Amino acid sequence: MNIKTGIGFRKDFAEEFLTGSVLKPGFVELAPENWMKIGGYWKKKLNQLAKMYPITSHGLSLSVGSPETLDMEFLKNVKQFLKEYNIEIYSEHLSFSKCDNAHLYDLLPIPFREDAVKHVAERIKQVQDFLGRRIAIENVSYYTPVAAEMDEATFVSNVIEEADCNLLLDVNNVYVNSFNHNYDAKSFIEKLPLNRVAYIHMAGHTKVAPDLIIDTHGEAIIDPVYELFEWTLDKVKPVPVLLERDFNIPELAEMQFELNNLEAIMTRKWETENKSIVVSK
Amino acid sequence: MLLKTETYKQQSSIAQYCRDGKEVAILNAKPERLPHYRRLVFNVVKDALETTYPISHKYIDSEVWKEIVFNFFSEHKCKDPQVWRMPFEFYEFCKTKNYDEKYDLPFLNNLLYFEWVEVELYMMEDISLPQFLYSDNWLQKRIAVNPEHKIIKLEYPVHMEKPFDTVNKKGDYFLLLYREKETGRIQFTNLSILFTFLLENIVSAEKTLEEIFNDILYIFGINHLEMLQNESFKFLNDLKTRGFVLGVYKK
Ligand SMILES: [Fe+2]
Repeated sequence: MNIKTGIGFRKDFAEEFLTGSVLKPGFVELAPENWMKIGGYWKKKLNQLAKMYPITSHGLSLSVGSPETLDMEFLKNVKQFLKEYNIEIYSEHLSFSKCDNAHLYDLLPIPFREDAVKHVAERIKQVQDFLGRRIAIENVSYYTPVAAEMDEATFVSNVIEEADCNLLLDVNNVYVNSFNHNYDAKSFIEKLPLNRVAYIHMAGHTKVAPDLIIDTHGEAIIDPVYELFEWTLDKVKPVPVLLERDFNIPELAEMQFELNNLEAIMTRKWETENKSIVVSK
Repeated sequence: MLLKTETYKQQSSIAQYCRDGKEVAILNAKPERLPHYRRLVFNVVKDALETTYPISHKYIDSEVWKEIVFNFFSEHKCKDPQVWRMPFEFYEFCKTKNYDEKYDLPFLNNLLYFEWVEVELYMMEDISLPQFLYSDNWLQKRIAVNPEHKIIKLEYPVHMEKPFDTVNKKGDYFLLLYREKETGRIQFTNLSILFTFLLENIVSAEKTLEEIFNDILYIFGINHLEMLQNESFKFLNDLKTRGFVLGVYKK
């Protein structure tokens, strides 16, 4: 399977996308939560999608950073879904979206602390054991630290190493965080376990104040993020790269244009070394 | 647990703040950034509810709607990991809190329920069709129907009229909602109490049509079998044209 760039699949543009005429990614990513245990119209669309493209998955509700125990019933459904659609990559966020048994349906920052590293790593291991595969964990954007006792790069690296999982490197998130928290994006990336990068996310964001960027996935990728992406590719092995676009959906041709930009960089950086790009477990 | 109580408390504080917006002190946090989390989290919930309940959202006073949504998210712990199912919890919450009385919206529970059932039916997992045959002789057979359906009873006709127009029309309204196999669209049709009884018996697939007719004659005190049969066949044939009635069970 020769996979290059992918696009986050959304109902907003499903109809036109499934005609397959304008936007032609190498794969698509979707959130299992939105597509598992459903039927009817969207199940048909999902089946159609699965016939056209390989699928990767990016979860929202597992909440590896939650204080409480894992929702095994939920995980069982995810496992079944991954099997049904032959999905090789399952990724989740290094954050929490559930606390005190209440789902929040968005990503909150985990305290960068030693005990949290141990706790989260343990949970990721449990997930991996249950699914019988390595999962990829993503560095998330955050807008304020919460009770931090170490820096973000140390936290992310320690969790990934300790859990023995893969890293989903979201280059836009690194850029957003480096801006919001005043650090150098490149030295941040250099501190990460780059040998574990199994998947890359790219996206656009929105500047809401002179000192704050919100990771909206609602704009086109900006040049400094492309630049950071290009710089990063020298340091990681070839992996699938995904374009996330969740809001303010443009013409599909515009997203294809962004995929072409990404592919051009990937080809320049990776194929000169004659590596093939595969979805790895 | 590997997580220390203090760390857990910090997480719990920010999560609680996102739910109710009440000021919290979080260690080493930038207080001016916290409202963004509250806004992001709250918007997901608000959007999901407005998508599932477009009629309720449209007709209920916006300040009241805002308050109900706020109360729901701050007081209720959302259980479902699938955000599209969360609005069902909203319906249950409103019912438990008697918001129909509190906000003088007598139709509220019915409206939320009706809107939810439409979404639930639209999204629910596929159910395979029973093994059925086409037959001209329905009377001695059990009728097979599309299993992706729901028969519900409402007190206010929120499925036919604008919510506030239903206030003085309290009564018994029965309807059948079903998902078309081909298109996935949800259709609904009004039912008389007699046809509700007929359909519920057909759905349970225990009796032949003739046995159900006999029950109806007895229960509803009807004398005219022929009229009952004619009306019922008309009704069932219509449902057959619409793809709800499939035929008769093979066995
Ligand atoms: Fe991402």
